[in-house]
Amino acid sequence: MRRLNSDESGSVLIWTVLVITILSLAAAELLHVVSSKYTNALQTAQWQESLLAAESGVDLAIRELRKSLFPPPNKAWEGWSSGQSTEGSIERYGISVIPNAGLAGTEMTINVTVDAPLQLRDASNSWQYYRIRALGTMPITGPPRANDNKQDTRLRKLSLKTDRFTGADLGNSGARVTRRVEAIVRPVSAFDQAVMSLSSLDLNDANIVIDSYDSRDPNKSTNGQYDAAERQKNGHIATNGNLINAGNAYVYGDVSTNSGTATGITNVSGVQRTDFYQEPVPVAAPTWPAINSTPMLVAGNANLAAASTEGSASSRYVLSSITIAGTEVLNLTGNADGSTTYIEVYVTGDISATGNSQIIVHPGVKATIYFAGGVKVSGNGLVNKNNQPGNLLMYGVQPPAGSTTKTVELGGSGHLTAAVYAPDHHVHMNNAGTRGTANGSFVGKTFTMTGTTDLHYDEALGSGGRISNYKIVSWFEDTR
Amino acid sequence: MVNDTASRGAIRRRAAGGFALGEIIISTAIFSAVSAGLILGFVSLRRNYTATTDFAINHADQMRISDYLALDLRRAVKLEPLKNDASIYIPCYYDSTAARSPQTPLLDGKGGVYYGTATCAVKVRYYLQGASILRKYGDDAPSELARDVEDFEFNATDLGKVVKTSIKFKPTFKSSGASEEVKTATAFHNTTLLRNSRRDMQSGVY
Repeated sequence: MRRLNSDESGSVLIWTVLVITILSLAAAELLHVVSSKYTNALQTAQWQESLLAAESGVDLAIRELRKSLFPPPNKAWEGWSSGQSTEGSIERYGISVIPNAGLAGTEMTINVTVDAPLQLRDASNSWQYYRIRALGTMPITGPPRANDNKQDTRLRKLSLKTDRFTGADLGNSGARVTRRVEAIVRPVSAFDQAVMSLSSLDLNDANIVIDSYDSRDPNKSTNGQYDAAERQKNGHIATNGNLINAGNAYVYGDVSTNSGTATGITNVSGVQRTDFYQEPVPVAAPTWPAINSTPMLVAGNANLAAASTEGSASSRYVLSSITIAGTEVLNLTGNADGSTTYIEVYVTGDISATGNSQIIVHPGVKATIYFAGGVKVSGNGLVNKNNQPGNLLMYGVQPPAGSTTKTVELGGSGHLTAAVYAPDHHVHMNNAGTRGTANGSFVGKTFTMTGTTDLHYDEALGSGGRISNYKIVSWFEDTR
Repeated sequence: MVNDTASRGAIRRRAAGGFALGEIIISTAIFSAVSAGLILGFVSLRRNYTATTDFAINHADQMRISDYLALDLRRAVKLEPLKNDASIYIPCYYDSTAARSPQTPLLDGKGGVYYGTATCAVKVRYYLQGASILRKYGDDAPSELARDVEDFEFNATDLGKVVKTSIKFKPTFKSSGASEEVKTATAFHNTTLLRNSRRDMQSGVY
């Protein structure tokens, strides 16, 4: 029997150990590289998710702000706490934890602070802008290890051992990634478009012109009035529905639907968009603490006096209806010198001004008319002597649930200067006569035009009237 | 008996000596074949490892450049999209102190807000130097974000609200053993929606 030499067996062992060592080193190096890249990819994904969380926080805050626009009880800010900011304004805090929102079923934490700094209050219309600060946090599920690339570490700032914002110790299992976004939102006027409809929008006639001007800007108007030579291209028309018939009208602005189609757009100079949707904010019936109790209705010639103080009881009227006909006139009168005065009228029933009758808004008067019923006004039946649509704002009050939709029928012949917001009414501009003009903005459940009436949207309306939405005007990710 | 045993031992030693020569030849041949296989295997593994590492580095570079661009584009208020030398302007959110504290926003009277002064903006420049993309934030020193880049360019669409970026990286696999198919350059695309309205053109976002 042959016995192996001890030197030979040692050689085999050495070779075996050597090969295993080499293979082990190669495997270890490979594992290290793969593990490092895997950790990098995982942290990158979680870093991206934390931005989604922060942006969700901004959306949550805007949703609460929008809810606050609705008639009570709107349940705005329910579940949020409040306090006072260092700058003195009211601050709202909200924390949302969404389980299983991230990779591997991790939870997403959203911290939101909303405040209203005094610097963000627009003195021209008393609109308050809001500052929203949102922190989006996602846990790091992999090993709490910094990336091997300096640029990656500089870009994707992680909280591995201590929280990078508060400095708090995170222990062994608290590694996280947090991103911070600051957004400023501003109110959006109910009169943000030349024409807006919640469903159908039908312009019918090929000769209509829809454009814009800005009564505040001498380069975009003449003496504060529309001038075709200063025409602007912000006469946007839009619908929450999916169909617009632009009727080959000359639209100097965008045409927007909600994932729908627009027809008759040959003469549209703006962009055709399909991503429009604006949640309509209904108008609640006014609940004034005190009013001017006479008259209780208008049925013939009448005068309603405005007051120099906005919101004064003497200039607030609640009427069951307005019915004038023939040559009868309802005057909304102000000061003789034409200085600014205010009047608010709530009509619980219908408004009817037929024949040659007129509702006249006198110089200096800023009139706001709420109506719960229908409106029927002949051509030249609404006379706004200020020639500024912002001086005659008409709001259609939300009807009781289940009631028939009322109609706002405006005579399109002659000249009309007003802004109408009636998301629960059909709005119909009817012109059987000569070419007319309408300066203002029109919002209805549906909007239909018959005959030829040019629409000139005053961009100044976009900075006044009721607030119907909030939109982001500034966005910044704080990367400190 | 003893002689017989000694004789058999001598024969076995002679036989063993003959086998040893044969074993050496055979084992050398086997060893050479195995070694050659191992060397080829290691070379192949090494090449594969290098290519994989290059691929991982390249991929990390792409993710980094994409995330940097998206970060700055999201908060941009103005763009100068020249090929291989693009600038993104972002609001002056931070003050000029070393701590870079946030500033209080102010109304511009036109429905917008600004930080610092109405026209203030921080320039973030992305440019190609050699085969590297560098990012220069304001007056800070430039930093290298990615290597092995051939060229890049911005393309703004949808009324300037959406910015598409195309970056062409050099071939990841440079080995002579790689096929021509895998040695082509990689084009990397990034699409970002700008959150802010642009100051250099009329645009709204939401």
